[in-house]
Amino acid sequence: MGIDGNLSKRKNILYCFISIMVLCIMLFPLYWILATSLKTEKEIFQIPPTFWPKELNLKSYMVQLESGDFNMFHSFGNSLIISFGAMIIAVILAVPASYGIAKYNFIGKRAIVLGFLVTQMLPVSVLLTPLFIMFKNMHLYNTFWSTILADATIGIPFSVLILKNYFAAIPKELEEAAYIDGCNKFTAFIRVLIPIAKPGVMVCAIFSFLYAWGDLAYGMTFILDQEKRPITAGIFNFMGQYGTKWSYLTAFAVVTIIPVTLIFIFMQKYIISGMTSGAVKG
Amino acid sequence: MVIYMNRIKKLFKYDNVGIWFVLPAFIYMIVFVGYPIIYNFILSFQDVTVKTLRSNVKEFVGFRNYLELFTQDNVLRTSIWNTLVFTVMCLVFQFVIGFALALFFKNRFKSSKMVRGLLMIPWMIPVTITGLIFKFMFGTDVGVINYFLRSLNLISENIDWLTNTTTAMPAVIFANVWIGVPFNMILIATGLTTIPKELYESAAIDGANKFQLFRKITLPLLKPTIESVLILGFIYTFKVYDLIYVMTSGGPVNSTQLLSTYSYKLSFDMFKYSKGAAVANILFIILFFVSLVYLKNVYVEEER
Repeated sequence: MGIDGNLSKRKNILYCFISIMVLCIMLFPLYWILATSLKTEKEIFQIPPTFWPKELNLKSYMVQLESGDFNMFHSFGNSLIISFGAMIIAVILAVPASYGIAKYNFIGKRAIVLGFLVTQMLPVSVLLTPLFIMFKNMHLYNTFWSTILADATIGIPFSVLILKNYFAAIPKELEEAAYIDGCNKFTAFIRVLIPIAKPGVMVCAIFSFLYAWGDLAYGMTFILDQEKRPITAGIFNFMGQYGTKWSYLTAFAVVTIIPVTLIFIFMQKYIISGMTSGAVKG
Repeated sequence: MVIYMNRIKKLFKYDNVGIWFVLPAFIYMIVFVGYPIIYNFILSFQDVTVKTLRSNVKEFVGFRNYLELFTQDNVLRTSIWNTLVFTVMCLVFQFVIGFALALFFKNRFKSSKMVRGLLMIPWMIPVTITGLIFKFMFGTDVGVINYFLRSLNLISENIDWLTNTTTAMPAVIFANVWIGVPFNMILIATGLTTIPKELYESAAIDGANKFQLFRKITLPLLKPTIESVLILGFIYTFKVYDLIYVMTSGGPVNSTQLLSTYSYKLSFDMFKYSKGAAVANILFIILFFVSLVYLKNVYVEEER
């Protein structure tokens, strides 16, 4: 290994080869469910297993279009509503909060920052039972709102802690220039600071969306009707009823992963930055 | 006197406009997180079941729930032990593999950036789906893992991974390590970039070999990163819930029952809300003390 990390041509090829092998091993489970979702039920149980379907079978996907026991695309829509809802709440609340924390000194600031840090570490189990009872009393149980409100509590602390660093990095002079141009504190925040912190806002929006999209516990506990449940809870339910219908189950899995993959492909740099800054700095 | 004056000056420096920006988010978190935490504590000192959920008068029973859990309930002890085993095993494997990958991808070769990026995908997949995938792959007859093991002649008969009390835990640990490796890799890789190259260069000129470079430069300089990766990993792994719930629901015979799944089971399968709240609090308190260590680190850093 060269100390600066540059490699000879031969080593370059070798390392590329090893890295591709690692990638194949790590991503094999994903390939495997994609391949399985395109097989017939009979072929899935065949021994030895086929690593690519002999005949492409799209039935597992098509069946879902005609509503079956569990309409996958309907649940997909529910998940979209819930995740966008949670994302909007998280961004609208977290953006001003992080600006306030980054740019002003006020009494109780340290305690509030500490509070956001602690909530990030909270196990979901602590909130489930009390929120369940609360939502029942508020008549929000079994509505989208219950899950949206609960999911936003994951996105908010994460977003505040990330965005605070973005706002803190913006030089004071920019803000002062805005005041000279006739902005007050609120218009300066909206017209000048938010546009500059846009990459940070993107990170927060993406992660708030992904957290909500991946949630199972809240959606499963606060929404009773299969009709209104997000796709993760729908799949879990389906697994309980038709545990061995792997052609359908893997098709659901593939559909659930699609938005995640799209976000990943188009917004990879935001995701890496979110993971590293969010986790290391807390 | 000077100190006193400074304090007064500092007070005037406070600009309470800031609080109006923070207040909406703060109130939201108080309502949907702060209040529920307190409510959960109250709940654990009451006796709330499905019968008493709707009534206004709830019996206060003090520490009875906790006492019963610790003295009469073997499942609680099993869950605490399982949670520890699960967390420690996951941490060890995901840390070692993540570290190795981070070191490997430190080399700049043609596909390094792209492959490292793609390796993040397992971390982003909804955990429910990860659970489903591994439940399928660990299947007794249908599972591809048994097929691989048989092809390599490591086993002669199919193992019923998830329905056997001795193999269920290793299987769920395997699945969770798959999620955790990218997280460890990316954080350690970021930490590695902060080590100045010159250090390696001058040490190499002095004749240090690769192993010495790793032990004398990489490890000590990476210590803060390693600490936060391990503590964060502990916190995230200790409260894992969805994965276990999807793969085994805590079974067979509680062999993968964790504190998180047991709390859920008590509250929402057996409708013993107060007992469930008590178990959740035990989980919360353990996590809280671990978090303190982490918070101290972060806080020191924030203050700088």
